[in-house]
Amino acid sequence: MLPVNLLVMAKAIAIALLLTNHVALLPDPFLPFIPGLDHLPPVLFQRTLQVFFVASALSLLFNRSVRLSAFVLGMTIIVSVLASKAYYGNNKTFCGFILFLIGLYEPGKEPWMIRLQLVLVYFGAGSNKLLDTDWRTGVFFQNWAANRLHQPVFIAVSSYLPPLVLAKAISWFTIATELGLSGVFLVRRLFPLGIWGNLVLHSSMLFFTGSTFTMFFYAMTASMLAFASWPVRPMLVIFDGDCGFCALTKGWVERLDLEQMLEWRPYQSGIGLRYGITDTDASKRLYLVNGDRIYSGFSAFKMMVLCNPISYLLTYTVLAAPGSGDSRFRNIVVAVLLVLFSPLFQPVGDALYALVARNRRSLVANSNCSIE
Amino acid sequence: MKTIVAAALLLFQVVMIVYARFVPSRYFCWAPFDIQTEYKLQVEVDGRTLSGKEVRARYRRPQNGTDNRSPQHVMDIVQGYEESYGRNNPARVVMRYRVNGKDEQVWRWPQQ
Repeated sequence: MLPVNLLVMAKAIAIALLLTNHVALLPDPFLPFIPGLDHLPPVLFQRTLQVFFVASALSLLFNRSVRLSAFVLGMTIIVSVLASKAYYGNNKTFCGFILFLIGLYEPGKEPWMIRLQLVLVYFGAGSNKLLDTDWRTGVFFQNWAANRLHQPVFIAVSSYLPPLVLAKAISWFTIATELGLSGVFLVRRLFPLGIWGNLVLHSSMLFFTGSTFTMFFYAMTASMLAFASWPVRPMLVIFDGDCGFCALTKGWVERLDLEQMLEWRPYQSGIGLRYGITDTDASKRLYLVNGDRIYSGFSAFKMMVLCNPISYLLTYTVLAAPGSGDSRFRNIVVAVLLVLFSPLFQPVGDALYALVARNRRSLVANSNCSIE
Repeated sequence: MKTIVAAALLLFQVVMIVYARFVPSRYFCWAPFDIQTEYKLQVEVDGRTLSGKEVRARYRRPQNGTDNRSPQHVMDIVQGYEESYGRNNPARVVMRYRVNGKDEQVWRWPQQ
């Protein structure tokens, strides 16, 4: 078996691969990196890859031999990359490598090989840019943003500045971010910073270009799950057992809690006192206990969402559904999610939570029944 | 064994990142979208200029396009094709290209 975070990560990539119809891109051999591959019958080669690709992706999604499925799915992409210079691309290579490494994961160990893959990607990308004169001077970015993408915001802002200043600033910011991330992902206590850095970098690229760079956006963001500290035992949710709205919410959340990661207990049972949560506090807001960490209100709600695999599978389904082209819908979904889970939104989330919590007894009838 | 295979894959990439410093191509070294290559291919076979459709069928690349990687990748495809599949049906190729919007350069096959 795989740890839940790695399984969800592999599934998210598989969902994106299937929904973007990547199977249609799998090539027949053409100028392969490994000599001789193009001596194989081309149609048979391509069809075989396609069959293994779809079968392993579906098998992974339906929890059948998940490590083997991830390994085979990764291998079909790696073999495709090696078989055709026309198919070769960084995004495909990354997908292949990361799924391959998930397939090689050894139970009970930290997924350091997967994490190091991310370190190498950022180090390779950052160092290549740093050593490229056109990146250091902003020439690359100016040409890309203004002449290729015709990016309206970039063109408008740069028109107020001396030539190349904005392009140079963005170039150096990108170089610093990529090289910084390669270091951040080596230090466990900096993982949250790295996760946010990754999400902001790749979302910015998505907004700026309108492109997911085929699989790059999906695979790079999904890979952050390798750095997430996933709960190893069920988290305790302390709620108001006399509140109909809370019971209704509990019912909905429990239906979506397929991994049974939440254990619901009413504060009236006195459970909160074990964790230093008084009845007065617990009557005002929901609490969630995850190991030695205690979350309340909006933060507890966010943790429930973040620690539920369905959140990720649904998100990647929604993001990948529009296909590989530009999608305003996808951009809006990404922007909303970033804002919602950003620390900057916390005061607003807390205020909204408090508003609902204060009025919860009037939201649903039957709100004063005492628990057994 | 699994750890050794995984470590070998990572080591391979480290080698390719270093190797990329000494060659114009950028394979397996994580240089995504680091170069913008705008190119035009003019391909002649038996004295006849190939159409855009024929060029795409031959090299699996558009006749006029942008590659988000090193120009060497397009050259590798043209050269690789002509040295293997196209050996019995050789082409004369002129590739005009700009890297990151700078001055046009020309590459020819067969190389002179």
